[in-house]
Amino acid sequence: MTLTRRDVFRSIGCGSIAAVAAAVPLAASSAKTKTDDLGLLYDATVCIGCKACVGACASANGLEPDTALSGGIWQMPTDLNPQTKNIISVYHSDDGTEASFMKRQCMHCVDPACASGCPFGALSKGKFGIVEWNGNLCIGCRFCEISCPFDVPRFEWAKFNPKIVKCELCRHRLANGSQPACTEVCPVGAVIFGTRAQLLQEAHRRIAAHPGKYYQDRVYGEHDLGGTQVIYLSHVPFAKLGLPETGDESPAHYGSKVHSVIYKGMAVPVMVYAGLAALMRRRFRIHEEEARAEEKKTGRQEQL
Amino acid sequence: MSVERWGHASPVGKPLVTAPFVFFSSLAVVALALSAKRLLGGLAFTGMNDDYAIGVWKTFNVMVLTALGSSALAVGLLTWVFNQKQFHVIMRASLSSSLLFYGTGMFALGFDVGRPWNFYNVLLPWRWNLHSALLEISVCMTSYVSIFLLYENLPQVLPEGWVRRIKPAYPYMVAMAFLLPIMHQSSLGSLMVLAGAKVHPLWQTQMLPAFYLMQAIICGFASMIILLMVTCLAWSRPMDVTLLGGLSRFMAWGSAGFVVLRFLDIMVRGQLALAFQLTWYAVLFHAENLFVLVPALVLFNERLRLSPRILFVTAVLTAIGGLTYRFSPTTFAFRYGKASIYFPSLGELLMCLGYIGLAVALFIVAARQFAILPDRIHD
Amino acid sequence: MSDPNHPTINQQLKRSGSSRRDFITLCGKLMVAAPFGLAITNFISPEAVAAVVGKARRPSVIWLHMQDCTGCTETLLRTSEPDLATLIFDVISLDYHETVMAASGADAEAALRDAMALNDGKYVLVVEGSIPTGEAGTYLKIAGRKGTDLLADVSAHAAAVIAIGSCASWGGIPSSGPNPTGAVGVDALVRNKPVVNLPGCPPNPYILLGTILEYATTGKLPKLDALGRPLFAYDRLIHDHCPRRAHFDAGRFATRFGDDGHRNGWCLYKLGCKGPVTHAPCSTRHFNEVVDAWPIGIGHPCFGCAEKSVGYTIPQFTLAPINDPKPTSMYPPITTPRGIVEAASAGTAGLVGGILLGAGYVAARKFPSSATAAAPPPSSEDVSDTGAES
Repeated sequence: MTLTRRDVFRSIGCGSIAAVAAAVPLAASSAKTKTDDLGLLYDATVCIGCKACVGACASANGLEPDTALSGGIWQMPTDLNPQTKNIISVYHSDDGTEASFMKRQCMHCVDPACASGCPFGALSKGKFGIVEWNGNLCIGCRFCEISCPFDVPRFEWAKFNPKIVKCELCRHRLANGSQPACTEVCPVGAVIFGTRAQLLQEAHRRIAAHPGKYYQDRVYGEHDLGGTQVIYLSHVPFAKLGLPETGDESPAHYGSKVHSVIYKGMAVPVMVYAGLAALMRRRFRIHEEEARAEEKKTGRQEQL
Repeated sequence: MSVERWGHASPVGKPLVTAPFVFFSSLAVVALALSAKRLLGGLAFTGMNDDYAIGVWKTFNVMVLTALGSSALAVGLLTWVFNQKQFHVIMRASLSSSLLFYGTGMFALGFDVGRPWNFYNVLLPWRWNLHSALLEISVCMTSYVSIFLLYENLPQVLPEGWVRRIKPAYPYMVAMAFLLPIMHQSSLGSLMVLAGAKVHPLWQTQMLPAFYLMQAIICGFASMIILLMVTCLAWSRPMDVTLLGGLSRFMAWGSAGFVVLRFLDIMVRGQLALAFQLTWYAVLFHAENLFVLVPALVLFNERLRLSPRILFVTAVLTAIGGLTYRFSPTTFAFRYGKASIYFPSLGELLMCLGYIGLAVALFIVAARQFAILPDRIHD
Repeated sequence: MSDPNHPTINQQLKRSGSSRRDFITLCGKLMVAAPFGLAITNFISPEAVAAVVGKARRPSVIWLHMQDCTGCTETLLRTSEPDLATLIFDVISLDYHETVMAASGADAEAALRDAMALNDGKYVLVVEGSIPTGEAGTYLKIAGRKGTDLLADVSAHAAAVIAIGSCASWGGIPSSGPNPTGAVGVDALVRNKPVVNLPGCPPNPYILLGTILEYATTGKLPKLDALGRPLFAYDRLIHDHCPRRAHFDAGRFATRFGDDGHRNGWCLYKLGCKGPVTHAPCSTRHFNEVVDAWPIGIGHPCFGCAEKSVGYTIPQFTLAPINDPKPTSMYPPITTPRGIVEAASAGTAGLVGGILLGAGYVAARKFPSSATAAAPPPSSEDVSDTGAES
């Protein structure tokens, strides 16, 4: 049987729907900040690498310190892991002229990729813009680990009841009127706490007060990847500290541009189904007629 | 020698317990035993880590094998939507093989997720995150396998009276059985779009959903050709080369279209230069394209298309190329340039292979018992 | 009011003509021993402390020895300012002390009775040594009285009870396994009033003096922890207050006595230092009024003498558990690579790949190369074993 004209027009129709769907909105992020969004400002030029924040984070969050590598005597994680929501690492340049400490924890993105991809919204932006994990909705698919551009969420691989573990800005302490443990314990104020607006203001004040001190006179996280609530100042390139320099579009926005247009209101799928169902009904009726004729002629029943 | 033509499906018949069947069943038993162990012990025995949080079960048993299992979609669209009635005779084979590939893929997925007891949320629409491609896959793949594809397979196993009773719903169910895989096969591509810059620029594109869907259809054709040819060879059944050749023509068009679109996409995105640097990524990129393009060019020739050996080899090459394309963004091209690696552990690999063995063993049982595989008309 | 039998310390110092300067020096040493946590040292100068403490009534102290080595007495005698006489007559009134008092025999017994009568309900009882309870307490008899009875009697009329030293606090050396005398600490027997435990073997004497003078000045005992130890001295682990902690954090350990690490003053954890499990003030309040005169200071790992279940219980060279691990001073790099390739798995994958390729090759050869040579006639359903792959 050859293709009929009808079939060709049908396929062109589907193609044009796809073409319309490809017209995408221009904004770099699908989310907006709110005035009470809280965050952290980490100034790598102030940090002395004392790691008080690492120990304080573990005890404030009820985490067993990770002593596996040290044989039980020190808290010695090599990276974020299910027992370590916050870590201090160090960067040295090869020639030894540049060095910096780096504090790593959840960035509490303005438009988080993890929350965008999570099937049942186990990770979501809650009060104060904090990205929270809800164990009742999580199926442990680990899509958040795949999508996070900062490689933050950690999965408890060895547990029978595994959680996704990451910094949640000590929201249990915020509820009691305290600060996050890391900002409270930092002896030099390298990491400070406040609303995102306040912190951005402070960061720009520092840049203005010390021209040329900070890398590119720039606050990382102000616009990067759609904006983050944890922002960074540094004297060395941000890329050397492990921060991705991939532009101002949030992955959540990049990832849902096409998807959100095609599935908007489920209009396209419903239309396609309507078309397919109508077509199938006709095809099936003809198929049944032909099968009955065939059966009459040869005695063979149809095989559907 | 007369040229064989298929007219209807027939069971392969006994004996059931043969060496291959025992082999695949043993693989399946190993997988099931290891699955029980995974239930009790968590996922630490796998090779998955926080940098490569999805492993072979998701990237192979689901992403790759459901492409092979898309013959129900591919052949179904050809047969029903594009009215290529000659392929009705192989619909049963494509439906049952698709059901088994999808089913064992979902089974593997059930053991892959860490908190499967919360999956009931898929039944509660108010908890769905409509932005999420993975939600779309969860809902569509689950309903596809458990309702619509299953329904399509019922006429193969049910007695005549029951088939008559379920027929009225048939067109509506089949329409869903086309819509749903179109949605979730493309969403499998959308998954990696969210990973953004973590996927190598030669693969990362807004066209990923379209390309994954195209490859699903291409691989659906390829897997059908391979399946039919191998079963004919193994069980000494007549082989309809004309039909298979006709099917391969559609596969060739699909492959050619895919490669053209992929190059267009690279050029539009300004990444053409990357394809011609001396890196393993460029090699992989070209390999994926060549493995589908060269067979396609060969299959455009009608005479070559009717050579069984050529059909088989081109189908296998196409499948390899297509499956590699679907596999790359989650593994080879993921976190490119970084030091971490992923390779499945032995237990993980055995479970992956065992689930495939389960599908094969069940297919052998079904093909022997029911009229699934096409046969010539015996007058 | 001025009671000639119960003068204030100022009055007593004046009456005896003792050096006020020495008293002020003592107050300075109290400030060092108790930089926080005591009301009497919460001032900015020793003179200010002396002004307050001086107004207190000179406390009467009755000191009982039980199963002791007299080490805790010796530690008190190692105070140089003020001299011993001023200390035991003017600052406190040491009314009964078997080691230093002049009386003996019947006079001693009388001294105890008189001291108890004169200061009934007002004296501070200091107990040194553990009390044996085995064999109905007959392992210790002083003047024919069992230690348990003596303690019960004297503590009943005491205003405050202080157990000095590990033996009195929790049993000490005599109580270490198998504890043949059934030795126990004071607070196991004195249940009806608070007992201040000052464990240590011996403890720093200024801890004792600070406790006694706090009570005498304010009428209140210092804040105690759950084991009855004053928080101003026993709130921290040696490990958390140790001058060699930086070496611990950096992983610099002495592994044998006399090795380079030991000579360099590195951390003694690997030699069995019990600092991580011992609450004691030794690291900042040293002994014999000599700087660094404390075990770790002279290069010997702490053996946990002050801590029940540690001292005289855990062997010296057994490593102490770290119950609250803190970060090391070493740093991880910015990124840490993850993942390994299991050889068995790689081998299996290779094998499977090879089998598939081989089977594919064999199958391809079995297929005829042209259609007209295709399709063998229908034969029996033998399954060929090229593998029914699908």
